[in-house]
Amino acid sequence: MFGYQLDFEHPAWLLLALLLPVMWWVSLRSLSGLGSVRRWTAILLRTVVMLLLIAALAEAQFVRTSDNVTVFYLLDQSKSIPESQRVAMKRFAREDAFRHRQQGDKVGVIVFGRDAAIEFPPFAADIEIPEDTESVLDPDYTNLSAAINMAEAAFPHDASKRIVIISDGNENLGNVLEQARSVTSHGIGIDVVPIVYQAESEIAIEKVAVPPNVRRGQPFDLRIVVDNTATGDNEARAVTGRLRVTEQTDDVPRTLSEQTVTVQPGKQVFTVPLERDQSNFYRFGAQFIPDDPASDATPENNAASAFTHIRGKGTVLLVEDQENPGEHDYLVERLRSAEIEVQVMPTNQLFTDLGGLQPFDSVVLADVPREYFSTVQIKAMVANTQKLGAGLVMLGGPSSFGAGGWRNTELEKAMPVDFEIKNAKVVPKGALALLMHASEIPQGNYWQIQTAAASIKTLGPEDLCGLVYFNGTEQWLWNHPNGLVEVGENKAKMLKRLSTMTPGDMPDFDPSMQMAVRAFNQVKDAAVKHMIIISDGDPSPPSPGVVKALVDGNISVSTVAIGAHGPANSRVLSDLAADTGGKYYAVNNARALPQIFQKEARRVARPLIYEPEQPFLPQVVSSAHPIVSGIASPLPPTRGYVMTTVKNNPLVEVVVLSPEPATEDSGANNTILATWQYGVGRAIAFTTDAGARWTDLWTNSEMYDKFFTQMIRWSMRPMDDQGNFTVAVDQSDGQGRVFITALDKDDRFIDMLNMTGMVVDPDMEAVDIDIAQTAPGRYVGTFDATKSGNFLVMVNPGGNLPPIRTGLNVPYSDEFRDRQPDVGVLSAMASLVPKGGEPGTFVEVDSNETDLKELLDVNPFRRDLERARSSQDIWYYLLFAAGCLFFFDVFNRRVAVSFAWVAPLVGTVRSRLLGREESRADEEYLDRLRSRKREVSAGLDERRAATRFEPTSDAPQAESEDLAAAIESGSAKKPSGGPAPGKTSGLAPQADAEVESYTDRLLKAKRQVRKGLDEKK
Amino acid sequence: MAGMNGLRRNIVLGTGLLVGLVFLGIVAGCDEDLDGAAADQPDLIWSQHGLLNGQLQKPRAMAISADDEIYIVDYTARIQVFTPDGKFLRGWTTPDSQFGRPTGLSFDREGRLLVANTHYYQVLIYSPEGELVDTIGGLEGTPGHGPGEFGLVTDAVQDSQGNYYVAEYGEYDRIQKFNREGEFLTQWGSQGFEPGQFRRPQNLAVDSDDNVWVVDACNHRVQQFDAEGKLLRIWGEKGDAPGQLYYPYDLLFDDAGNLYISEFGNCRVQKFTPDGQSLGLWGHEGRRPGELSQPWALVMDSQGRIHVLDTQNHRVQRIVM
Repeated sequence: MFGYQLDFEHPAWLLLALLLPVMWWVSLRSLSGLGSVRRWTAILLRTVVMLLLIAALAEAQFVRTSDNVTVFYLLDQSKSIPESQRVAMKRFAREDAFRHRQQGDKVGVIVFGRDAAIEFPPFAADIEIPEDTESVLDPDYTNLSAAINMAEAAFPHDASKRIVIISDGNENLGNVLEQARSVTSHGIGIDVVPIVYQAESEIAIEKVAVPPNVRRGQPFDLRIVVDNTATGDNEARAVTGRLRVTEQTDDVPRTLSEQTVTVQPGKQVFTVPLERDQSNFYRFGAQFIPDDPASDATPENNAASAFTHIRGKGTVLLVEDQENPGEHDYLVERLRSAEIEVQVMPTNQLFTDLGGLQPFDSVVLADVPREYFSTVQIKAMVANTQKLGAGLVMLGGPSSFGAGGWRNTELEKAMPVDFEIKNAKVVPKGALALLMHASEIPQGNYWQIQTAAASIKTLGPEDLCGLVYFNGTEQWLWNHPNGLVEVGENKAKMLKRLSTMTPGDMPDFDPSMQMAVRAFNQVKDAAVKHMIIISDGDPSPPSPGVVKALVDGNISVSTVAIGAHGPANSRVLSDLAADTGGKYYAVNNARALPQIFQKEARRVARPLIYEPEQPFLPQVVSSAHPIVSGIASPLPPTRGYVMTTVKNNPLVEVVVLSPEPATEDSGANNTILATWQYGVGRAIAFTTDAGARWTDLWTNSEMYDKFFTQMIRWSMRPMDDQGNFTVAVDQSDGQGRVFITALDKDDRFIDMLNMTGMVVDPDMEAVDIDIAQTAPGRYVGTFDATKSGNFLVMVNPGGNLPPIRTGLNVPYSDEFRDRQPDVGVLSAMASLVPKGGEPGTFVEVDSNETDLKELLDVNPFRRDLERARSSQDIWYYLLFAAGCLFFFDVFNRRVAVSFAWVAPLVGTVRSRLLGREESRADEEYLDRLRSRKREVSAGLDERRAATRFEPTSDAPQAESEDLAAAIESGSAKKPSGGPAPGKTSGLAPQADAEVESYTDRLLKAKRQVRKGLDEKK
Repeated sequence: MAGMNGLRRNIVLGTGLLVGLVFLGIVAGCDEDLDGAAADQPDLIWSQHGLLNGQLQKPRAMAISADDEIYIVDYTARIQVFTPDGKFLRGWTTPDSQFGRPTGLSFDREGRLLVANTHYYQVLIYSPEGELVDTIGGLEGTPGHGPGEFGLVTDAVQDSQGNYYVAEYGEYDRIQKFNREGEFLTQWGSQGFEPGQFRRPQNLAVDSDDNVWVVDACNHRVQQFDAEGKLLRIWGEKGDAPGQLYYPYDLLFDDAGNLYISEFGNCRVQKFTPDGQSLGLWGHEGRRPGELSQPWALVMDSQGRIHVLDTQNHRVQRIVM
């Protein structure tokens, strides 16, 4: 299965091996003094050491090659592929791997739509793929290149790599061929199993066309283009069904007509003549419903819509809390009496997107809390003002501004006031404790993090927040001894900490709640103490003692039973909420949780409301502002408002202020009315209400009508009277185009206009459009329109002309446009030759044959790819080995190891085994030793005696050198000759003879010197 | 000459000695390490995280049959059967697990598997092969508080006379007794901190004298009752010192009558005398071998080895204490 080999990173260093003969030659000469065994041992050791060093220098690597194959199946789960085939491809992947996978091979599964996700990581076992993929995908797109990219990143390194793509190849994001070339150049093989649609008829509404701008009373045609792409045997078949045309001005579509039609193969246009007297932003839709559902393969592409704008007087949208219907009836009536068209929208029938806001020139949020709005809806309101110029008015009340949970939202950014109070002296704080036990619901941890984050964001900087959960033990998430910590500067840290939270299965509520009670009791200055518990209800219930402590501490507890174990229901939790004055929620869909948590966290935000015992008189501080034009200051007595903080921005104009509460910072928190320009629109913050609770004394005053009418009118978008401009938009190949024809009053072309444009896409992203003049009076701009949904286009013609609005609807994703697989792309991918391997296989699939068995004949685990190599540096081991061997080389040269004892030992053992007399041998051996000792001692004594003399300065140099040489040669020869007694005994007498004659000569010389000295005397 | 020779010999000898000492030191050191680690190391670790046969996903309860087959129910409501060496033998799934998974397993005297199907408020009785043969109690998936009705069932055991004891928690924490035919006989206990009361009686065991032992998880203690529910003994307090308990979730007896208790909160197994004297501890929180993460259950095999269900680590550790 695995093969091993040695490789070198820098093989050039291996040339150093040419120096080996040199080393041998030098060694043979320098080691000539050693015996032949030791000399050759030394040379061998040096050779090995040198080879090891050379290999280390060349960075030797240990390379393992593997015969195994890892296969990733890439399953296209986009909507362009019928559900039955999406399921079938999972079965195919499972059975294909089951049939062909060999021992050690791994198999993984990646599913993809807009993004790719690993459904099964590579695993050396058979796989079970559930029919419902666990990965969450956006099936409205096909991003095959992302899937290939992910597979490349996820392949293990220890096996050959192959991707099996099961797709129709109709990608609408990314560039798959480029990605495929990249991975094949890295040795990854690609096999392709194309998805071939079975022959069936297919109806698609390709387009709904309507003039984008129509004058009131002007007749116009609605054209519906229907495409019947019947193929194969069904080619001649026409499809009969109902064509329904709808009109939509608010959020509910109204059916205009429904007629039975027969769609012949090919494209067909149906026309509906229309005429409208009401000015509005209309959305016309068309839907085809086949009589026989089987006659249409993809129902998703059977609907489309288009916008038209019928100009007229302005309209205002007033959004009202569903729990207080009719609260603003008086205001609405007064505005209508002033010729302002007002549409009231309760929060349970909200607009869905930016398109839904287009009929209106101003949006009024009349005391509505944040939790009814999704992030998309909030973004839409903000974009509607910032990008499209509509007004945005927030009217006060107990559920507005910071008290309505609007802190830290996009809407707060659009308002001239911030919803937080930074001055702690002005506003008392609240304390909120969260208890998390919802780990057992699907994606439990995700939802717990979302809900906790939603709560924290609702709180003000002065408020305290704590989160208790169970992770082996009951604990506070902030790891702070007090448990409850001021949000202020800690907010970012808290949100970060949340992401690391992994609540476990809490066995018992009681200890956690006792912790919370203790923490609450330590907070003396909190005006509101509130706790939210989320649980599936199966921990042991809290004890009566802790419930009493909660009641005594004035701590309200709201409980959320979440349905982890069947329908949500917990008497324990509902009793707890009832006992402590909280609210009980039973939730079966986790999506509802963030809204509940925002609402509950708002209880803590209550202190932002200022309600003095005596009414106060708001002061007009900017009397030149058009809203208060002709209105005397002070305004009538007022009973309360929601405190805010004026934004520090020169665009902000504070128009009305409350004199109370008196603070040092000149009423930064006392704003009653402030305005500013936000983007191209206007935003107004009015912090008291419109007559319901705090301004009931205003309704009898004649200023009421004037004040509110002027306020709403000031906020409204200027009328886009387009003169002779005509605007058209269309979409093809993922591109939206806007065409403008500019004519003056005399119908002459207006040239050289500096037009700019902007489009807000379905995700609320605003993108500028470059508009260029292409012909006299004709201007064209393009924008990316790959997403499905509403695109709102705003064209600014330049000069002092008001902006022109129009819209484009992309009814369905491109997924539903292509009804044939892109065989060209798919086969091109299969034919790519991976580096070091064979090209992939393109499995021929007959559209009428759905038998898996034939497809299973192709073996993706075949061994025709470059074998996987994994290398490991080993030079440091080689260096270490060289160091060790070098030690032995030195040892070998410097230390003589004798094996003379081996023979006697063998003899002894042999004689013992054979039972022979051994004492004689011992005696002989001892005699030899004694004799040897005597010889050596005698030699040494003589040498000592011979060298014991008084050296003189004139002793002959050459002879002393001889002596030294003699001693040296004796000592040098001794080890080389080994301890063999014969050789040494031969050496000793010879040395004696030399020493004797030498002494004589010395004595002789001495005598001569003395004789000479005596003669001199 | 002699001096040089002597010096050289000394160097070689000295080096040799040094090398010898270092080698001995290394060997001795290794030995010490091994000994030190061996005290906490399990005898065997078996199974791993996963959904395939033989793998576990948050296993919750465990029981061992008379012929040493270990039954484990996990968070996917699969009941899997293993040998004491961790070899997968067979498995099946409870009829429905949408509302929650079983949290208790034990065997009756006839070798049938009693499954506390907690969130369906009843006890399922299976043959060892996985055939559902009977149920005890239950009101069609709704909780009840009358005789023979259940809240969140945690465990069911049988005594030598064939009587069944079933523990439950939720709104009413109590133990009900049934005869062999499943007819209600008596009940005792309520929710609270007092002796004889319970807060999540998580597991039951019957000793050789037919006394019923209860791990009272959220009161962090053990209570012993006679067959009629009379309180005989109560011991244990919250804490992590030896002798203290923190969410005891399961208990078993050895042949000598000592108790082994798995502590969900303290992530350990503790051995006690019947009087509550701690005899030893094994394990602490972690993911490595010898460490536990929220252990729910334990069983003892015929060779006296304890298998600890290491729930959050999705495995079983076999130990000898």
